Amino acid sequence: MNTKLLSRFLGIAAAIVFALPAAQAAEMTIVVWSGGTGVNSNYRVDAIEIAADLYQREQAILGNDITIKVEKEIYSDWEPFKQAFTLAAEANTAPHIAVTGHEDIAPWATAGLIRPIEDFVDLDAWPLNDIYDNLIEIASYEGVVYAIPQDAESRPFFFWIDYLKEIGYSDADIAGLPAKVAAGEYTLYDVLDDAKKIQDKGLVEPGYGFYPRVSNGPDYWQFYQSFGGVMQDPESRKLVLDKGAMTRTYQFFVDAVAMGVTRKNHIGTPWDQWYSEVASGKAGLWHGGTWHYNRYTTREGLEGFFDKIQFSLIPSGGDGGRANTVTHPLVYVLTNQGDDEVAEVAAQLIKIASEPRINSLHAIKSAHLAISKQQSNIELYSGDRWAREATTRLLPNANAMPNHTDFGEYWTVMWKGLESAWTGQKTPEQAVGDVATELGNSLGDAIIIR
Amino acid sequence: MRHQSDRLGLAFLTPALIFVVLFFLSPVVLTAVFSFTTMSTATGISGGTYRITPSAVRSAAEKGLNPATAERLSQERYTIDDDALTRATKAGIDAEILKELERDLKGKSTDDRRSFERLLKKLDNRPNRRQVKSISPHFRTSILNQSFEDRTTLDATLENLGLDAAERARVAETSYTGWIWTSANFRRMFLQPDTYRILINTIVYVFTTLVIFNTGYAMVLAIVTFYLPGRQATVYRTIWFLPRITPPVIYVLLWKWLAWDTGFISTITGWFGVASRNWMLDTSLNAWVFVVLINGFVGASMGMIIFSSAIKTIPESLFHASAVDGAYRWQQVRHIILPQLRWPILFLTTYQTLSLLSSFELIFLATNGGPGSATEVWSLAAFHLALSNYAGNLQYGLGAAFALILVLIGITASLFYLRLFKFSEMISKPRIEH
Repeated sequence: MNTKLLSRFLGIAAAIVFALPAAQAAEMTIVVWSGGTGVNSNYRVDAIEIAADLYQREQAILGNDITIKVEKEIYSDWEPFKQAFTLAAEANTAPHIAVTGHEDIAPWATAGLIRPIEDFVDLDAWPLNDIYDNLIEIASYEGVVYAIPQDAESRPFFFWIDYLKEIGYSDADIAGLPAKVAAGEYTLYDVLDDAKKIQDKGLVEPGYGFYPRVSNGPDYWQFYQSFGGVMQDPESRKLVLDKGAMTRTYQFFVDAVAMGVTRKNHIGTPWDQWYSEVASGKAGLWHGGTWHYNRYTTREGLEGFFDKIQFSLIPSGGDGGRANTVTHPLVYVLTNQGDDEVAEVAAQLIKIASEPRINSLHAIKSAHLAISKQQSNIELYSGDRWAREATTRLLPNANAMPNHTDFGEYWTVMWKGLESAWTGQKTPEQAVGDVATELGNSLGDAIIIR
Repeated sequence: MRHQSDRLGLAFLTPALIFVVLFFLSPVVLTAVFSFTTMSTATGISGGTYRITPSAVRSAAEKGLNPATAERLSQERYTIDDDALTRATKAGIDAEILKELERDLKGKSTDDRRSFERLLKKLDNRPNRRQVKSISPHFRTSILNQSFEDRTTLDATLENLGLDAAERARVAETSYTGWIWTSANFRRMFLQPDTYRILINTIVYVFTTLVIFNTGYAMVLAIVTFYLPGRQATVYRTIWFLPRITPPVIYVLLWKWLAWDTGFISTITGWFGVASRNWMLDTSLNAWVFVVLINGFVGASMGMIIFSSAIKTIPESLFHASAVDGAYRWQQVRHIILPQLRWPILFLTTYQTLSLLSSFELIFLATNGGPGSATEVWSLAAFHLALSNYAGNLQYGLGAAFALILVLIGITASLFYLRLFKFSEMISKPRIEH
């Protein structure tokens, strides 16, 4: 071996040795947290894991050997999740991806806790270009697309069919009920009347005629809209408190209590108890969300859902109101955690997780609705009667809560007022007066009180 | 010598001083600082930037910004011109792409980013997604939705756009995303109708629990166990100690099992035809009874131990002497035990007042302030405002203002108790040594 050959050999060996670290698989950990997520919603975070697997394969074909470890954390409630996320983000220990309600986009974006996802993904490319435009709108704030919708849903009104029959409804009446509700011919006060009839016939216990949600939620804005309230002024984008509509909303629940069809101490009923009661015919009329279908038919063991339960929009409150439903999509947000490289990978995982086939796993398992048009071509989704019917009956009339930095405060105060009227601490007028005073003091010009 | 012992004393005190500074003074000081700010989830804690959002421009217009200027600021624009091409070249963007842009699209403008990026994607030298994202910022000629780290950069940019000082100040004011100093939290607190309700709730809660359980019932337990035979007394005291040593979550869960619709009380009352109900949340009175019982059972055990120890220090001869004189048990309690317990009562009243004022975990777990804010006490309200609510709207500033008031109430209450129980007399040196 001459010297030249030796030096060339050594050079090649050195090149191999130095190249080794580069050839070794790069490792990256992506942390994803999800709020308000029950056992059947595991695909909110598992979809990221599936996406990571696909992404790795794509990168391997391109010659980039990258290993992605996905760390998942699920919070079943909202309060602890939002507290944990906000404080972690302030302390720079946030996850890279969070699944949260769209209403968090405004405050989190303003505080710089999340990055605009439009900086990292091409919204004109598959699969993001197939997502419904209104959902992309709900995931945007101040004209910037901050997040990618993770699911869609709406919040129907439910009727226990056998009890309707007992109080004189024919099969045709029951079949036509959703259309009557949508047309505003069956109102919230008809709900109370029917609830009373069901109770008077001894079909359900007192206080179980109309059995609403047991805790705060986007649902209560539906009643405000039923009575003609609007949450945001479309022109100025300011929040709106319509005192008349809010008073009528509070009055409705006070009337339900006064008629004895809803319990005065209903708020705070344990969720497990509530689910088991509505799924077993202990309540006459109630309202919930599209995902309740899953809970009723699996964990609560309800069989023959469509023969036992009719569903519709939330009825109108009467003059000036409208039948409606609120959709509260959860979204994938890209947090400010980590450098741009990590954010780039996290954004790609969010993109892949939005593929129709992957998203349908979540939609059907948890009884949520599709985010994109092509999901109707996925057999798993299109074969599901609930997804199909809920989509056509409810989504055309669905709207979302506004993305506004002060909406959280408005929401908290609105709920506090409703709770105080419902439980008899204040009259509806006093409660709304206090809500207006408090919001006037705290939000000032940012809210229109009329 | 004296000098040395002084230093030694200081050395012994140092760990305590460090603890006081770390865990008492600094939280109080930080609370005071936070309470004079607008800090919330949206402002963040670490400061903000100046972001020219459509809302910021709209509110600047409402505050008197020239409508034409506002219109100009609220438009988005991407332009392919010489300046932008130079910026892109300097930033190292692929020369071929820029050349093509200059050749085919120079002078072209779009009024949003998406349309501009669509143009880029049609080039022969089609940039990939990451290149597209890195190219577009250089061609942005509007400032809508741009962030500026500091006021100087913002001012310079706005000045270039022809805004005068007053206009710049307006835009800066409405576009700032961080927190600012304010005294509005205290004004809001006093103007808020619910504040008085919360105050009354707190007074009722502290006073009732303190009088009935933490001192009153604790005293009864201590005296009863004092007169019980030794072993029975121990068993009795142990039972009463259980609420304190049970983890709070489990302790409250047991109460919930007792009280809720399908729970123990409802089952028993159901046998007598009473409709089942959530006994804890049925009415505000029910909620209060449970809140006081839940806290009281925990509080009573501490008082029991302290009073029992204090009674044990009373010389037994006094009891024997009084028995010889024919005193009844009640007379012994009235004339021997109670006068000796002034100091423990002072300690316990002061300690438990502060403890009840600031601890809310049992109420949080039991009623969470419900029904309808009926059991929302001051510390729980501060917690809800600053750290935990359904909408995720954490108002650190307002919550801190609530907490600061609690600190002031605590200090005032302590001073009041010290005067009431004549603390200075109790700690004055015995005259016999003079």
